[in-house]
Amino acid sequence: MVNWQYSESIESREILDIKSKYTNYIGGKFVEPNSKKYIDTISPSTEEVLSQIAISNQNDVNKAVKAAKSGFEIWSSLAPYERSKYLFKLARLIQERSREFAVLESLDGGKPIKESRDFDIPQVAANFFYFAGWADKIDLSWSTKGLKPHGVVGQIIPWNFPLLMLAWKVAPALATGNTVVLKPAETTSLTALLFAEICDQAGLPNGVVNIITGDGTTGSLIVNHQDINKIAFTGSTQVGKLIQKSLAGREVGLTLELGGKAANIVYEDAAIDQAVEGVVNGIFFNQGHVCCAGSRLLIQESVHDQFISKLEKRMQALRVGNPLDKNTDIGAINSKEQLNKITNLVDEGVADGGNIFQTECELPGNGFWFKPTLFTDVQPSYSIAREEIFGPVLTTLTFRTPDEAVEIANNTEYGLSAGVWTEKGSKILWTADRLEAGVVWANTFNKFDPASPFGGYKESGFGREGGRHGLLSYLKESS
Amino acid sequence: MIEIKKTYKNYVGGKYVRSESGKTYTKELKNEFYELPLTSKKDIRDAVTSSKDGFKKWSSTTPYLRMQILYRLSEMIEGNKESYVELLMHHGLTKQKANKDIDKSIQNIVWFAGLADKWEQLAGNLNPVSEEYFNISHQNPIGVVFSLSGSNVSLNELLMSILPALTVGCSVISYSEENSVVALKFAEDINNSDFPSGSLNILSGKFENILNDVSKHVEINLVALHKELDNNGLKSIEENASESVKRVFSQPSIEGLSSILPYLETKTVWHPKGT
Repeated sequence: MVNWQYSESIESREILDIKSKYTNYIGGKFVEPNSKKYIDTISPSTEEVLSQIAISNQNDVNKAVKAAKSGFEIWSSLAPYERSKYLFKLARLIQERSREFAVLESLDGGKPIKESRDFDIPQVAANFFYFAGWADKIDLSWSTKGLKPHGVVGQIIPWNFPLLMLAWKVAPALATGNTVVLKPAETTSLTALLFAEICDQAGLPNGVVNIITGDGTTGSLIVNHQDINKIAFTGSTQVGKLIQKSLAGREVGLTLELGGKAANIVYEDAAIDQAVEGVVNGIFFNQGHVCCAGSRLLIQESVHDQFISKLEKRMQALRVGNPLDKNTDIGAINSKEQLNKITNLVDEGVADGGNIFQTECELPGNGFWFKPTLFTDVQPSYSIAREEIFGPVLTTLTFRTPDEAVEIANNTEYGLSAGVWTEKGSKILWTADRLEAGVVWANTFNKFDPASPFGGYKESGFGREGGRHGLLSYLKESS
Repeated sequence: MIEIKKTYKNYVGGKYVRSESGKTYTKELKNEFYELPLTSKKDIRDAVTSSKDGFKKWSSTTPYLRMQILYRLSEMIEGNKESYVELLMHHGLTKQKANKDIDKSIQNIVWFAGLADKWEQLAGNLNPVSEEYFNISHQNPIGVVFSLSGSNVSLNELLMSILPALTVGCSVISYSEENSVVALKFAEDINNSDFPSGSLNILSGKFENILNDVSKHVEINLVALHKELDNNGLKSIEENASESVKRVFSQPSIEGLSSILPYLETKTVWHPKGT
């Protein structure tokens, strides 16, 4: 047998021109933060300082909301057809600069270039294209009475799909005539700030898109601002609850896309090899930093041993390393904080009595890394079976009957997504009907499309993003 | 001859029950004093248990049958029209207004009955995803709904706080304060219309007594307030609700398709196409 040597294929960073410091983008201008405060933003794969971003204070938030308010006057009085054209233009510009976005996303966030290049950024453009076409068809979207925009929307997004989450938020908000104040996560703000340049390039009217950076404190200043008409948040259930509480008694719209602990159910009559592929994609996509990740593998007892042995073999083939290497399957964990959280939960799983399997692979010296991990012999009460780990860690439970599978799958406060694997059509539909989850992937997992609504049941939040249903998150009935 | 006075009771799990607390509040109608159940925290918990069971039964009833059961409700009310008109007049409504209220009630029940097997076609759709997948968004009823009815004495207003949720398959705990005599009488027609027990529970009392219990109860999936509350009341409800990401709708729309949207969860199912 030939002993092939591994040969890396590194995506060049030359396309990027990262500034040493980024300011806020307010009212169509790049402006220094009133706070005068900046923090370093690093690459999680090398810990190299890439740039600095602003930490915005109350004055900065005031300025951004004010700009969005005056932007709303212009934007909402534009002919819908004109709004549509602006969104088409943004979509095209994103396509044109897509490689730049992809490299920056992988560098700043740690995700493999093949994901940012082939998934994140193409989906970003697709979302702007999709909602561009809705802008002048809102009256056709729902047979309800006169829908109108909320006004100024505050949007707070997470670090796992930085630019894609921006697109999920900004595209429908703008298509429906709202203006936005968006805050990206503090570890992954760079692509949002590059997007600000694109807004400038597209000649978007001033104040329609405002991007301010900062940490959770800045986020709560946005939530508590008196002139905000709606908040859209994607992030943890814990923070989502705090936001819902802050808005209590106030006439502010709210949509929440929160955590998950998705069950991925494998029935004994599944196509096992396909299911193994799907389960791997379900949990190891984007280092498992996915709210809808298939983190609870539910296997029917009769195929458990066979499935686990194939799964371990497949996991061993996953390549962990430099996100800019085009061969990389699993990149860096987004931050030290997240790495600690994953490590602690995994330690707890071992202490509880779970049987751990980790792939044999060399991890780079610098940066934040975690080996692909699989737990078997897990009890439903273990924290690794209940809490969202948000990392490359899969927990396995077993079941005997379809009823039991559904019961275990629904036995969680979350309800974002679920997976079903079987070759029997009737069983898919029976199971899908009973799963309390906003998205059910049958014989597939982690598929996304701008036309497909996404969002959760129960404590995974409310409201939908994407599709015709996603429009309702940014519209209210005129009274 | 002495007229026989009716004893009004809560309606829970298909049975007429007094408050377990034994407490009542008094309502005077036509020189008679009626002792109405003052719902307690324990009564709410019992109602939720019953509603969870009712939800299982009602949501798995076919749309065709749900439609017929709702239509049967309109038949019941039509048959008892005079007694409703009389009761509303005892509350001080003119005969004309009372008649109009009942006519509108019947009309609305028939409208929602006819929606029971159509709303999924209006609220769901196939999604044109750009890969070889079948992708459909359809709806599930959200679960157990607590609905606070308005302060007017009116059968129609009571119905509009119940019908949208019931039509899509939610179970409803309907709570009335000022409108409670009408609500508790209405329970009799629900009881005669083949609704599965627990699909609709009807309670009376002072909302302030149970506001916290309702908004904190994790097995109530949605709180619909069809009555204007003072800002502190609304604030505490929404704060409590945030602990379990509970949905709260203040003065939800009661018109057309918009009326049912709050009670739905959208589920999107993907499946690959291939040979």
